[in-house]
Amino acid sequence: MTTLRIAEAPEGAITINVNGRRIVGPLQGFGQMWQKTYRIRLVGANVDPLTVVRAWKEHFAEFWPPRNRFYGPLTGIAPGETAVLNITVSGMPLSTGVLVLYADDESFTLMTPQGHVFAGWITFSSFVDPSDGVTVAQAQVLMRANDPIYELGLRFGGGHRQEDRFWEHTLRSLAAYFGVKEPVVMERVCVDKHVQWREARNIWMNSAVRTMLYVLAAPVRWLTRRRAPAR
Amino acid sequence: MTARHLEADVRCGPIATVVDLHGDISSASDETLGAAYARAEACGPRPIALNFHDVDYINSSGIALIVGLLVRARKSNRALLAFGLSDHYVEIFRITRLTDFMSIFPDEELALASAKSA
Repeated sequence: MTTLRIAEAPEGAITINVNGRRIVGPLQGFGQMWQKTYRIRLVGANVDPLTVVRAWKEHFAEFWPPRNRFYGPLTGIAPGETAVLNITVSGMPLSTGVLVLYADDESFTLMTPQGHVFAGWITFSSFVDPSDGVTVAQAQVLMRANDPIYELGLRFGGGHRQEDRFWEHTLRSLAAYFGVKEPVVMERVCVDKHVQWREARNIWMNSAVRTMLYVLAAPVRWLTRRRAPAR
Repeated sequence: MTARHLEADVRCGPIATVVDLHGDISSASDETLGAAYARAEACGPRPIALNFHDVDYINSSGIALIVGLLVRARKSNRALLAFGLSDHYVEIFRITRLTDFMSIFPDEELALASAKSA
């Protein structure tokens, strides 16, 4: 279960950079290690954490920002399953995947593969705030940029801000599903400020570069298919 | 399932310092785990072995805390070992590739033997 594998390509999805890619934790990435926590309080919604997580799993793709697609496993979000992601990073298309590492009634965790923007995992959970009994939905990312290109983008290209907006949108959509409109609170902690130069070679697997080349080569593939003799 | 608050005991030994963990490891364990690790560091420059024998549940926030300990250990060139993990968590540590940086042993005897020979 350490490499991604999809049995069948979802219709309409670009599935390069998925099959055979090894998943990578934050210790294997290149850039600074960050833990980012996004929370939204579901004030006024009469829902318990189990209901929130169930809805989050069932409607996960619908809560994403526009122009970002999550092609979830047909069997739903379950441990060991692979999902395909077609997302937009700084205006560029990116095809990648994620592995469902954990999934239970209270939380689920997705882990990223080689070539993804970051090496690490994201945990989606819900809990009751003990101070006032309000149910809270939370997304927590432990990440480090996979290679030097992504690290530059995150640090100087607005990548962190873009990622923050992504999860803020997701949490606001989840809250709206329960009829709640509340602000998202974000907390960011630098776990390790050093970069790991020995991981710089991860650049070879950069999925953004490979997706861009794949998209640019589309006319060539089209012409090749047209010229190929019918069998 | 009722959550068990994490408690930690530190045993300074001649070969390694053992941190005995009791309870669940989650985001709520940050302070306890960090303080125990600091006490273990104060025992001297020996390897630190985390004893998970009495840990039933580690969620992904808990895994993140262990990643944080690994970062601290690597910064100070200190070996961090683990023993007593259930098969399920051995698999999780393997999948999350913590095992690239942390040796895992079934019991304390084997962990200390490894620390001694290192």
